Amino acid sequence: MATLPKEQDVLIDAFGPHLNRMEGRQLDTGVQPDKVVNTHCCFCGQQCGIQLKVKDNAVIGFEPWYAFPFNKGMLCPKGVKRYLQGSHPDRLITALERDPSSDTGFRPIAYDEAIRKVAAAIDRIQTAYGPNAFGVLSGASLTTEKAYLMGKFARVCLKTKFIDYNGRLCMVSAGAANKKAFGIDRAANPWSDILNADVVVIAGSNTAECAPITTNYVWQARENGGRVIVIDPRITPIARTADVFLPVKPGRDVALFNGILQLMIENDWLDHEFIENHTVGFEAVAEHVKQWTPKRTAEVTGVAEKSIRQAAELWGQAKTSFLMHARGIEHHSHGVENCLSTINIVLASGRIGREFCAYGTVVGQGNGQGGREHGQKCDQLPGWRDISNPAHREYIAGVWGVKPEEIPEAGVDCYEMMRKIDAGEIKGLLNICFNPKVSLPDNAFVTRALGKLEFFTVIDFFLSETAQHADIVLPGSLHEEDEGVVAQVEGRVIKINKAVDPPGDAKEDWRVIQDIAQALGRTHGMTFNSPREIFDELRVASKGGVADYFGITYEKIEANNGICWPCPSEDHPGTPRLFEPDSWNPIAKGAGPFYFPDGKARFNVAAYRPPAEDVDEEYPVILTTGRVVSQFLSGTQTRRIGPLVDQYPEPRIEIHPKLAAKYGIADGDMVTAESRRGDITLKAQVVTTIRPDTIFIPYHWPGRKSANQLTIAAQDPVSKIPEYKVCAVRIRKA
Amino acid sequence: MSVPAQFEFFVDPNRCIGCQSCVAACSECDTHKGHSMIHLQYVQRPISVQTVPVVCMHCDSPTCAEVCPADAIKRTDDGVVQTARKPRCIACNNCVLACPFGVPKMEVEYSLMMKCDMCYDRTSVGSKPMCASVCPSGALYYGTRDEIERARPRSEPVNKFRFGNQIITTKVNMMVPRDSTMQHIDGQHIDVTAAMHEEPVNPSGMLENVFDEIG
Amino acid sequence: MTFGRVGEERIVALLWGVLFTAILGGLIVFGSRTLAHFDAALVGYTFATLFATFAITYRYSMWLQRPPTRTYWVRGWQLFFSRKYLARNIRNWFAWVISDFAMNRFIFRRDRKRGLAHALIMWGCILAFAITFPLVFGWIHFETVPGDLTTYRTYVFGFGTSSFPIHSMAAFLIFHGLVWSAFLVIGGVMLAMRRRMRDHGAAAVQRFGEDILPLVLLFAISVTGLLLTASNTWMKGYGYDFLALLHAVTVIFTLLWLPFGKFFHIFQRPAQLGVSFYKDVGALEGMARCRRCDTEYAPLIQINDLIDVERKLGYRYETDAPEIEHYQRICPACRRSMLALAQGDLWQATTQTTART
Repeated sequence: MATLPKEQDVLIDAFGPHLNRMEGRQLDTGVQPDKVVNTHCCFCGQQCGIQLKVKDNAVIGFEPWYAFPFNKGMLCPKGVKRYLQGSHPDRLITALERDPSSDTGFRPIAYDEAIRKVAAAIDRIQTAYGPNAFGVLSGASLTTEKAYLMGKFARVCLKTKFIDYNGRLCMVSAGAANKKAFGIDRAANPWSDILNADVVVIAGSNTAECAPITTNYVWQARENGGRVIVIDPRITPIARTADVFLPVKPGRDVALFNGILQLMIENDWLDHEFIENHTVGFEAVAEHVKQWTPKRTAEVTGVAEKSIRQAAELWGQAKTSFLMHARGIEHHSHGVENCLSTINIVLASGRIGREFCAYGTVVGQGNGQGGREHGQKCDQLPGWRDISNPAHREYIAGVWGVKPEEIPEAGVDCYEMMRKIDAGEIKGLLNICFNPKVSLPDNAFVTRALGKLEFFTVIDFFLSETAQHADIVLPGSLHEEDEGVVAQVEGRVIKINKAVDPPGDAKEDWRVIQDIAQALGRTHGMTFNSPREIFDELRVASKGGVADYFGITYEKIEANNGICWPCPSEDHPGTPRLFEPDSWNPIAKGAGPFYFPDGKARFNVAAYRPPAEDVDEEYPVILTTGRVVSQFLSGTQTRRIGPLVDQYPEPRIEIHPKLAAKYGIADGDMVTAESRRGDITLKAQVVTTIRPDTIFIPYHWPGRKSANQLTIAAQDPVSKIPEYKVCAVRIRKA
Repeated sequence: MSVPAQFEFFVDPNRCIGCQSCVAACSECDTHKGHSMIHLQYVQRPISVQTVPVVCMHCDSPTCAEVCPADAIKRTDDGVVQTARKPRCIACNNCVLACPFGVPKMEVEYSLMMKCDMCYDRTSVGSKPMCASVCPSGALYYGTRDEIERARPRSEPVNKFRFGNQIITTKVNMMVPRDSTMQHIDGQHIDVTAAMHEEPVNPSGMLENVFDEIG
Repeated sequence: MTFGRVGEERIVALLWGVLFTAILGGLIVFGSRTLAHFDAALVGYTFATLFATFAITYRYSMWLQRPPTRTYWVRGWQLFFSRKYLARNIRNWFAWVISDFAMNRFIFRRDRKRGLAHALIMWGCILAFAITFPLVFGWIHFETVPGDLTTYRTYVFGFGTSSFPIHSMAAFLIFHGLVWSAFLVIGGVMLAMRRRMRDHGAAAVQRFGEDILPLVLLFAISVTGLLLTASNTWMKGYGYDFLALLHAVTVIFTLLWLPFGKFFHIFQRPAQLGVSFYKDVGALEGMARCRRCDTEYAPLIQINDLIDVERKLGYRYETDAPEIEHYQRICPACRRSMLALAQGDLWQATTQTTART
């Protein structure tokens, strides 16, 4: 019965979000901290180093960690104020049970009792409907140890095939494309390769707001003489001073990159030798892009032909380059093709696998990289192994001490799981580190689906909008309350260090999971005593896989400020740059630098398809969604931090004055945007920094302020990423 | 304790991305904890995302101090113009109105002017100011002249600014293109008054054109 | 500023100093009935006070002659007495004196402990001054009522006023007034010292002479004063002469320090009232509009005065552009934007090469 136990405002009153601000010891300038802990920020995939000041088992402030090489003390405002999530009035310090008769909708219960109830419900549902009737949703902000444990918990303990994670909303298009083109999914280069690149291409990345630290790398490249090309429907801060700006119409990226490739071919800006020796499939792609003449490209993409030519010229003639992309081109029903079309221009240029010759996706979530490597994805086993590959199953079964046939088959992506819940196939759900009610598209449907669950349990540190639906809420751990590793944007495995103990009844997430396993009486393989023990098993589980962590140890990470995987043995220094000409990998076995048996990279034909829902007379305006710098994802944490909320308190609709004029909208007016799935009414921000055919709404808010009331659940057929970046809406003055 | 002479502050507003990290971090500094002294503002949001961070430039001859009727603003020997001395400041607002860079802030409820003191608790013991520590775009940088010259081959620091007929020399530097041709009146300086009628321009002039074509 | 001007200022300040010192001297002679009630043992205190008066007046006068201070001094009085606002100003005067001076509201808002420390020190000092100065100068003295050895009469400037029994509670409170004030001051000093010793922010900017010494002096005066009472009350006057000397030294040193250190704010601070009138009335008289963004940003009178002050100080913020006239006529927010635009222009010139179509 996972409907809300009380009205939304009653729940908000009781459990927040309330705003935490500096007070008491945080504001006292006379307090001497007990210790200062070197760790990383809990938010995005940049994973900036930060030092947390701790006093009496509470985080009271931060100090820049100047010695950490990636960010050298730099932080975005989220990093600066992250410490305010600790000692928060909304922090869950007991287990809660849904109780509509109580004042707040929930009543605190003893932790052990809660665990027993969760186990009993799991047992009941699985006994009644079979093991696959219970599903698990996990997240990519968990440490890699926890991500690994979640995958193992689902397959070994729950024996369910239904596990997936919120990386599905984030990195999967890039992952799938990388796999297709390179055979490995990781940024190919360290960020230091940005610094001396002749050309930096930033496609669909609001870098300044979503990966702020990367800005300094890009500016540094420019300082060294590099040029910057930005592709985005909005003039974001990184685009403002770009040398070439391509304001692409949302959903037309494939056309743009195909057009650029066509110009490269036309002008022979190709690295024939590289194409010949290190790639497969160029001819088919070359044939395919012939149709993408500059004229047609301009027509489809809404970018001036001249700009396309300028970009192609800069890119084509560059000696070195760094191409990066992010959700802007990935959040599409053809997200994989978008990524493949960018990879095609990289491969055609031959600029990869060398210093300052680089390609990479800007990972979104804190462990967006590590969280997608070790088996919490529906079709994956640790070490980036394939759950449908018998050899892979056998190896992991050996590590886990089970029979290969006991490992369930591949499940489905998280949105499909919602559909299965809606259809009654999945009856029970455990959710951790995921706020699907806010973050999934068409959230009216998600809410309906959650309401159909017979049993729903959530492990969280705050009562997120999703947790409000839970029958039992288990108090888990904040980032600073546990240790473990994450892999940041460069594929560098770094160490999160524990600063404080979980308060009250709250426990480290891995303990909570193991307590459930114990209550179920299924303790096999679920008896770790520390994250280090989990990591040591993970190292073995990943050994010989593409994402090989075997040679990485906690000590080695600390000593080197992180180790880039693959790192197959303890004497291996890690691999900051992939695809170096003479590099060895376990797939090619010396045949070449790429992760295919022949060692060659793949060109993939990326055919242009319009967005799933294009504009029409009825819904004539494109809606695109994204982030603001002061909020993070579904805002479970950042909407509770006062200074971050002050910075951008409410979502607004960004709209170009031309479009605004058409509807008589002035800056500050309330405007309703309506799609086929829902509507939203927000204040208009009339600015010339967005395409006149497009409006933008940031997505961090729940309920009636949620942009995902409007977005469409259309998904990429391969990666299953939802199309957050384009849908059709109509607007009117409210 | 004083700020070591080899460390300097360099500002490059052109790099600013408006993230407000500096604003957030500023309030973490012990000399003004809970209060952000740095200014970060959009230059003209309706037409541009251009933003500008403004820290105290620490003038050699600080107008704010000289127009202070209470004699509350002091420049220490290391060149840092300190925040108003609490017993003296009478909250007249003169400094706020007189500063050519628009730096001091009036905390009305405290009857007190507060301003950026380059995080004196940090810089006077050899550490870096909060804003320049966290700034993720390098718009605010604190280090040696040698470091900045190596890191920014296209840029050079300037510390003279022209307002009307007045040239103001500051301790804090602003980065300008190395090959830029500036008017020379009293050494190299940035003519701020000349920007009176400027509007933010998106350097890629193609932007407006493209959007015009869309209609 | 020329040397001659400085010299002139000094002469003016000197004359004011002499005048005020002379007036105080006259009052001492007059108030003590040509020194009839003057306690010769207190001559050190008296001369220290006379010196402090001279030096404070001198410094105050020098201060008032600085262009900005003079402008606000004159303007403050002008606006205060302007017929149009006099009633309003008098009302405000009471409100502000109570909230700012008596209650230190603005300090409490900065930090409650800090407010408490200041209030304790301030009221302790006010009480102590109110008791000691009249006594030292012979302005107040007590005599037994003729024919009644159990009753004291208070004489003010030699004129008899009320009387009270020697063994009453009132007598106890009055004769121990300095003890109470010492307790107040010690409490305040302890709070202030605690802050100065543990606060990292304060540690960075405090100076011994400016911030610590005054606290040390107040503490020394209070403690030595209390020791005098203790010696007198419980120890049969043990070491009284030495303690009296020690106490005198602390007091005299503080008096001599008054014009130089932090204590000078006691005399400077009332200017805040003038500024309050200036801002209040100034805003009523009309606001200046920014020449760039056309929004109101400050009282016009203050901007005009500031321009005048800056000219006197030798600044040349005038511009040749008639639409600006003077940089002061642009609001602070626009000044910040212009700074960005000016610098951005220089960079724009370098990025345009490929961009312009």
